[in-house]
Amino acid sequence: MDQSRRNFCLGASVATIGAAAIGAATLTPAPAGAAQARKGGDAAHRWGMVVDVRKCVGCQACTVACIMENDVPENSFRTIVSTYEVTEQGKTGSYMLPRLCNHCEDAPCIPVCPTGATFQRQDGIVVVDNTVCVGCAYCVQACPYDARFINHETQTADKCTFCVHRVDAGLLPACVETCVGGARIFGDLNDPDSTVSTLIREEAPKVLKPEQGTQPRVFYIGLDPKFQGKVDGTPTLWRPAREKEHA
Amino acid sequence: MDTNIVEVINVTREVAWLPWAVQYFFLIGLSVGGVLLSLPGYAFAKDEWRKLGRVALLVALTCGLAAPVALLSDLHQPGRFWHFYVVFRPTSWMWWGSVFIPFYVTGLLVYAWACFREEFQEQGRIDSRLAALYRLAALGGGRNDRLIRVMGLVVLAGAALVALYTGVEVAVIKARPLWHTPFLPVQFLMTALVGAAGLVLILNRFAADNDRAVEAQANRLLAGFLGAVMAVGGLWLALGLFGLERTHAEALESVANSEAWRVTALWAVLATVLPFVIAVAKPMGTGLLSGLIAVHSAWMFRWTVFIGGQTVPKTGAGFYEYALPAGPDGLLGILGTAGLWFFLLLVITAFLPTPRRSAPRPIRAAHAADRAVAAAE
Ligand code: SF4
Ligand code: SF4
Repeated sequence: MDQSRRNFCLGASVATIGAAAIGAATLTPAPAGAAQARKGGDAAHRWGMVVDVRKCVGCQACTVACIMENDVPENSFRTIVSTYEVTEQGKTGSYMLPRLCNHCEDAPCIPVCPTGATFQRQDGIVVVDNTVCVGCAYCVQACPYDARFINHETQTADKCTFCVHRVDAGLLPACVETCVGGARIFGDLNDPDSTVSTLIREEAPKVLKPEQGTQPRVFYIGLDPKFQGKVDGTPTLWRPAREKEHA
Repeated sequence: MDTNIVEVINVTREVAWLPWAVQYFFLIGLSVGGVLLSLPGYAFAKDEWRKLGRVALLVALTCGLAAPVALLSDLHQPGRFWHFYVVFRPTSWMWWGSVFIPFYVTGLLVYAWACFREEFQEQGRIDSRLAALYRLAALGGGRNDRLIRVMGLVVLAGAALVALYTGVEVAVIKARPLWHTPFLPVQFLMTALVGAAGLVLILNRFAADNDRAVEAQANRLLAGFLGAVMAVGGLWLALGLFGLERTHAEALESVANSEAWRVTALWAVLATVLPFVIAVAKPMGTGLLSGLIAVHSAWMFRWTVFIGGQTVPKTGAGFYEYALPAGPDGLLGILGTAGLWFFLLLVITAFLPTPRRSAPRPIRAAHAADRAVAAAE
């Protein structure tokens, strides 16, 4: 069950062989300009995530783990499991969709940044240098996934970093570490033998909003097309921001 | 298949471009519009445009000076604004904006000074305690049509760059179908001209000598701009309604089922058609009314685009709710920028009261120095 963790440890230590092979076979690489601008991180890796939505039980353990790990302020989320009640042909069931930053290969949040605070590391992780960020929120507008927000404690742009500090220390992102159902699988897309690479090869997972051309590096197995873009449904019952406004 | 989806848990993202941004885009738009309306009278020395041009210059100056304050306040880290100036980020339209704005505002100040120079000179001849100050402001000269024209062209370039960047900055955001349209920069410019003509009508009444000719002229201009707004808006709607272009169809679809958005649409149509009818049917004696509606219409357009646009979730169902906060990030910010604008207007009009003239003086015929003497007599 715990394939994701075991694989990660292997993947991180094994030298990447045939890195280009998988990149060419299933994943379109970033445009030259975007790739050149990358800095920091180890270019040998390309971190990515596969989310098997069939395995997600909607417990929000990842949501909580992320908040604890990254000190995410109240009312803000770097990741959340969107939960829907779906009624079809008289039958009602739940649908869970863990959402996070997609660490896009061609990320629209990067070129818009007027200060260069948002950038992509050579291992594909998109980060914000919050000592440089002016909090203009241009990147918040440009992300097609609502993955970014303004952190009101730092007054700068904030988002999921794949727990970059943990990854650099050879650990898994907190959400992956804690995932009860084993729905979140993290690994190196440059390593053809990693679980993520194998799943992408064998399960043909989908990404969110492919028409935006962002080349997400978070893939979903069992993604219902009704949830691939903006969801056409009755809005959420729980609105934390509303409480804040009325407070 | 009949599917019903209820979103039980999701995140609500609050608006990240605050009412400050609405104020900025409104004020800078009006300033650009004011510059454009002032050019024929000043930079191109057309007599019949001179009086309207002076009011338009007040619009350009007051709005152009207040706008950057609103922009700075929209940054969540305003103290770090200098971070814009230590990098080269040509892929970001906002970065280009940080280059264009100082260029535009500086150009505007010099242009306005060149335009007002003859008034400084005239005020300097009046025996008052401030005469020395006026003489200092005139820098020992008077009207210089060449300088005005050169600076007019410089500020025209600045205005064009500002109009371009403010529009494109928003229009490039593919993530928001409502914004991602080449029509947006045109709509911003057209509604800015509507707002500027509207503010000219208001200031003509309260900050100038309520000249009927200026009123009729501004009302005619207003009608023209409103006509253009209707044409562009109609084209946008047609592209979406008939599904001619996917982004436009998506944009329309994202808001079509919302009652609030339908009310907004109706409001927008009324706020465009009503002043149009008034301005065409009765260009004289109605300036205050048509002007007020026009200014409100330009503001509403930006409010709807920015605040309304941000309440459309990119992935979630339905709409995010927005309630205007009372503090600096909401009502206080709006009132604060309005107050700053009003203060600037008071200061500028106190120092430069509307010159009392029975009729525009001949401009091209006489030599500049002769004219200055004639004015003093
Ligand atoms: S998901 Fe959004 S924030 Fe993350 S890399 Fe893609 S565009 Fe940027
Ligand atoms: S909010 Fe910060 S990271 Fe985002 S675009 Fe502005 S400066 Fe860049």
